[in-house]
Amino acid sequence: MFTFLGVSLQIEIITILIVMAMVFAFLFAVNRAIKKADPLAKPKGILLLGLIYYKMMDGFVTGNMGKKAAKHYGPYIAALAMFMFLSNILGLIALPSPTANYSVTLTLALITWVLIQSTKIKFNGIGGYLHGFIEPFPPFIIMNVFGLFAPLISMSLRLFGNITSGSVLMMLFYTFTQWLSTIVLRSELLNVFGILIAPFLHAYFDLFAGFIQTYIFISLTTIFIGIEMPQD
Amino acid sequence: MDIGRGLVAVGAGLAVMTGLMTGIGQGYAAGKAVEAVARNPEAEGKIRAMLILGDAIAETCAIYGLLVAFLLMFVFQ
Repeated sequence: MFTFLGVSLQIEIITILIVMAMVFAFLFAVNRAIKKADPLAKPKGILLLGLIYYKMMDGFVTGNMGKKAAKHYGPYIAALAMFMFLSNILGLIALPSPTANYSVTLTLALITWVLIQSTKIKFNGIGGYLHGFIEPFPPFIIMNVFGLFAPLISMSLRLFGNITSGSVLMMLFYTFTQWLSTIVLRSELLNVFGILIAPFLHAYFDLFAGFIQTYIFISLTTIFIGIEMPQD
Repeated sequence: MDIGRGLVAVGAGLAVMTGLMTGIGQGYAAGKAVEAVARNPEAEGKIRAMLILGDAIAETCAIYGLLVAFLLMFVFQ
């Protein structure tokens, strides 16, 4: 919490804006490279990165949701993946990651949940949606209501738990190595053990776990939405 | 330090034991994945992707337990 013009703000507001600035910078760079590029030459540099990302996301969303729906949801899934991945690895530049705050992950999971319910209503109508609660037997209504909220709770808590526990473990590790370095070097100047061993832990907790959690989140989103659509 | 804080610490230790069955389950899944690759070495990429996906979803239980342990340790004074 810090105050800005007399209003107290949480640090997540600033870090979300920083992540958005990074995403915008990437998109502007790709846009400028597209305008200057020769259509017949091989792409390279930032343009190649943009094309690889587009192909990856297109193949992924089409594989889970079909070609027609991929035109609707492809841009949102690609933007969500970029935002979430950059948020998860923000610990590498010594900023607290926004997805370590339950409000942020609950918001992202709520967007997915609203998309699932609206897809259900669009393809079944409101009557069909309400009728789905008493299928196959009327006593099943309790289970169906629980199953309504289960993806919301599990997706938000999974992302929150992974990122927060990663950051808490890194804090404990840095505190322990600071104490160890103070004893070994007899001065509090430099955290030698922390600096030596931290990169490997960062590679696991920030990069690997961040990427896996992003992949899981967008997989579950596309699969849950794709299930509600009629098969073609 | 009174007995209240000690009991909270014991509770936190019990909460992390959700990792027990997660370890067994994920090891079993890895074994099945290795078997599947041995039977069909061409599908290795797909099997690896499915293994990672299944592992991360099954790991949710262990993460819930770790989260409860962290909440207990860092919120109760």
